[in-house]
Amino acid sequence: MSSQRPYVRSMDGWWTRNAYYMRYMAREVTAVFVAAYAVVLLVGVVRLSQGEAAFNGWLQALKSPLSLVFHLVLLATFVYHTWSWFNIMPITMPVMFVGGKRVQPRTITATGLVAAVIACAAVFFFVRGTQP
Amino acid sequence: MADAEKIMEIEVLRYRPEQEQEPVLQTYKVPFTDDTSVLQGLQYIKDYLDGTLSFRWSCRMAICGSCGMMIDGKPKLSCKTFLRDYYPGKLRVEALAHFPVERDLMVTIKDYVKRLEGIKPYLIPKQARTLDEGEYLQTPQQRDRYMQFSACINCMLCYAACPQYGVNPKFIGSGHMALLHRYNADSRDGGSDERMGPVNEEDGVWGCTAIGYCSVVCPKQVDPAHAINMYKAKSSLNYFTRFVAPKDADK
Amino acid sequence: MEVYKADVAIVGAGGAGLRAAIAVAETDPTLKIALVSKVYPMRSHTVAAEGGAAAVTRSDDSLDYHFDDTVHGGDWLCEQDVVEYFVAHAHEELVQMEHWGCPWSRTQDGHANVRAFGGMKIERTWFAADKTGFHMLHTLFQTSIKYPSIKRFDEYFCSDLMVEDGRCQGVLAIQIATGEFTLIQAKAVIIATGGAGRVFRENTNGGIVTGDGMALAYRHGVPLRDMEFMQYHPTCMPGTGLLFTEACRGEGGFLLNKDGYRYLQDYGLGPPDPSPRNKAMELGPRDRLSQAFWHEKKRGRTIEGPHGAVVNLDLRHLGAAKLHERLPLICELAEEFLGVDPVHTPIPVLPAVHYTMGGILADGKTASPLLGLYSVGECSSVGIHGANRLGSNSLTELIVFGKVAGVEAANFAKSVAISNPAALEKQAEAARSRALGVVTKSGGTERLAVLRTEMAQSMEDGCGIYRLQADMQATCDQLRELRERYKNLKIDDHSKVYNTEWLLAIELGYLLEVGEAIVYSALNRKESRGSHQRLDGFEQRDDVNFLKHSLAYYTGESAPRIELQDVKITRSKPGTRAYGAAGEKAAAEEREREEPRNG
Repeated sequence: MSSQRPYVRSMDGWWTRNAYYMRYMAREVTAVFVAAYAVVLLVGVVRLSQGEAAFNGWLQALKSPLSLVFHLVLLATFVYHTWSWFNIMPITMPVMFVGGKRVQPRTITATGLVAAVIACAAVFFFVRGTQP
Repeated sequence: MADAEKIMEIEVLRYRPEQEQEPVLQTYKVPFTDDTSVLQGLQYIKDYLDGTLSFRWSCRMAICGSCGMMIDGKPKLSCKTFLRDYYPGKLRVEALAHFPVERDLMVTIKDYVKRLEGIKPYLIPKQARTLDEGEYLQTPQQRDRYMQFSACINCMLCYAACPQYGVNPKFIGSGHMALLHRYNADSRDGGSDERMGPVNEEDGVWGCTAIGYCSVVCPKQVDPAHAINMYKAKSSLNYFTRFVAPKDADK
Repeated sequence: MEVYKADVAIVGAGGAGLRAAIAVAETDPTLKIALVSKVYPMRSHTVAAEGGAAAVTRSDDSLDYHFDDTVHGGDWLCEQDVVEYFVAHAHEELVQMEHWGCPWSRTQDGHANVRAFGGMKIERTWFAADKTGFHMLHTLFQTSIKYPSIKRFDEYFCSDLMVEDGRCQGVLAIQIATGEFTLIQAKAVIIATGGAGRVFRENTNGGIVTGDGMALAYRHGVPLRDMEFMQYHPTCMPGTGLLFTEACRGEGGFLLNKDGYRYLQDYGLGPPDPSPRNKAMELGPRDRLSQAFWHEKKRGRTIEGPHGAVVNLDLRHLGAAKLHERLPLICELAEEFLGVDPVHTPIPVLPAVHYTMGGILADGKTASPLLGLYSVGECSSVGIHGANRLGSNSLTELIVFGKVAGVEAANFAKSVAISNPAALEKQAEAARSRALGVVTKSGGTERLAVLRTEMAQSMEDGCGIYRLQADMQATCDQLRELRERYKNLKIDDHSKVYNTEWLLAIELGYLLEVGEAIVYSALNRKESRGSHQRLDGFEQRDDVNFLKHSLAYYTGESAPRIELQDVKITRSKPGTRAYGAAGEKAAAEEREREEPRNG
């Protein structure tokens, strides 16, 4: 019968305890915004299936001031989402060697970000090119 | 020490199970100089102010892993954290987070050690070799593949950094995964399959949500976050290849 | 009281204790092993060893060379038959470590690499970067997990040996977490508790290196041998005493005084080559280097730093690449503790106490005069280090003699039975009362830290690099006084759960007694040999009267009784310890003498 009485400390509000945890929570929360945007696009697809008038109605709604603000917010969270995802990507990959030297995490992150920028630019110019 | 001594206020979270129900803060005034570590500050308290303060320490050079604790809310080794970096002001020192507190700055690490033993952290050679045949050959390049992960001093700062471990003490945690990978990646070892069991469990690698703070606090640059997240791909692959080529490997 | 019945008990789970445990398990898997350690095994001080482990490896090396280097290094106070066994079994043990996964540094073609080390004629020191002890300890600990017959008692503090019928039959241990006592019965006991460097003020040792096992054996009538030989490591961190490995010098580092001059050439270790030359200059033996520092300090040629006199360890010419590959821990220590980047700035260093050459008297098979009691590692004097240890011999010692101790203890345990369990329990009760007495008495006035600090300062003053009769006598007197004052300790902590103050108090008792063994042995040795150097009329080595070991016997309250024991000399007769150019000349002359014989 020992006098030991280990004390377990509470984990409540753990994510407020330091800035690193808060940035992590912000990263996780951006997934919610990604989901929100997916819903917006889904609605667009449904409207498209309902005919030209319905689709145009959806496009008009997107141009409302509330919608523009919403999309700006989405853009900001998407940028953070992308950046934080490529930041964490190196740790999900195996240890890699190229020409005998270890591939640095920042190389992987940079490659991902560059690829993302190029992909966005490509989509942007493609869409622009199809405008009448 | 010719100039006037500076005084640091160190606020320690005390806990004496025979005396109090809950931990309680106690402040001490500790004189210090430019190279006084937090550990030396604690030793001063124990030596001259309050002999009842209990804490672990030994090597004083960040290699034994004993002295991990929360210093100003961050997991650090007290032997190589210096009071000068927190002056002026009050420095809060608490037992390592996410472990039950036994006494003052001492936490229970029995489960951590048991878990370590459970991952088969020893060489399971690919090929047998007698002593007469001399050492296995291993090039410096082959050695580089695992050396980083072999530097773990079992200080548990990564566990104190991981909220997933804090919320679920059954989670294997990134530290043990680094040790597991150290052996899997060793060219002499052939035991990867035998080690997949602990990896695949729900409290194995899947408890990790890639927060990454563990690697930030690691005092030896082991990068345990990398070790554990690498195994998510391996674990997934292992899950599917199990059906292609069934083995009793993960039992 | 809880009783655990083991076949073999091992006190201390560092390199030696773990190796012994594995050896017992491999000798006979049915034997129950109790591995008792006051800290978790990976905290054992083996972890801090940096430089490497020696074994004859290269084809141009030989067992004779390693033997000669060791015996010369020990100033002929080594048990030569034991040294012969040691050098012959070193290589296979290092290969065994490698088979268990130890990440030795490699040559390009995949073989284990070897580096130069102090006092060694040919490169033979295996290494794992500059964290050899760390890697060896973790390899041994992780390997020990494979053996189900090893039951570990982590954070159990050994407070006494159980001796019955003239045999050691167990140990009494305190479970640190609860303050409760456990009697561990065992038919053989191996002590592997490490050295006693914490007796001194400035030392490289961790807080746990307090001579526990030495004191316990000593109190039960086992003599401590050659305790006066304490090794000062020449390159340690000012203030903390932390170690900068000899490998810094093995890789080519220089020691410079305040004029930027490589002063070792003035002490018979020259001439100075730009690159490391074995057994010369910075690769001379540790005692010579520490002595040179002392002389430089006397001549006012050292640098005054915030923690006293230092010299500079210059690694700049090694270049960043080599430094980060071969000496990464050193770079880390210098930067984090001193704010010095060795790539650009020399590191201030000074000698500090590092290793205890002496210890529990052990024969070549690690057996002590007390039947059933074995000792291995730094706590033991098996006879290979003599008056001065060569760097990288002690990590090898752990595994060569760890195995011997395990095998011997296993075989002994199988041949005997516990004679009288009831008597053992009675002894345990008495020992328990004694241990509790330290913490339960009231009205004390002496503070632990005050006594400890006075002891450590006194030992530094009396048993420093150079010793004087008057200083040693003063230390003897002071330790007597401290032992008296120790009876009047005031302990703040009267709890049971993790009462570390109580354990520190018990450790102080060990330290004081071991300290006495050291200083009385030193006073008695009226000569200079190896790391025991005097400046009071006994500056020379005296092979007529003192080619002998010192044996310190516990007498209880009064001063230890010192006796002398003959040294086993086989083929190396005492000669001059010559290093540098003088050493090369002596070696050449010896080769010339041997030519006609071989021709």
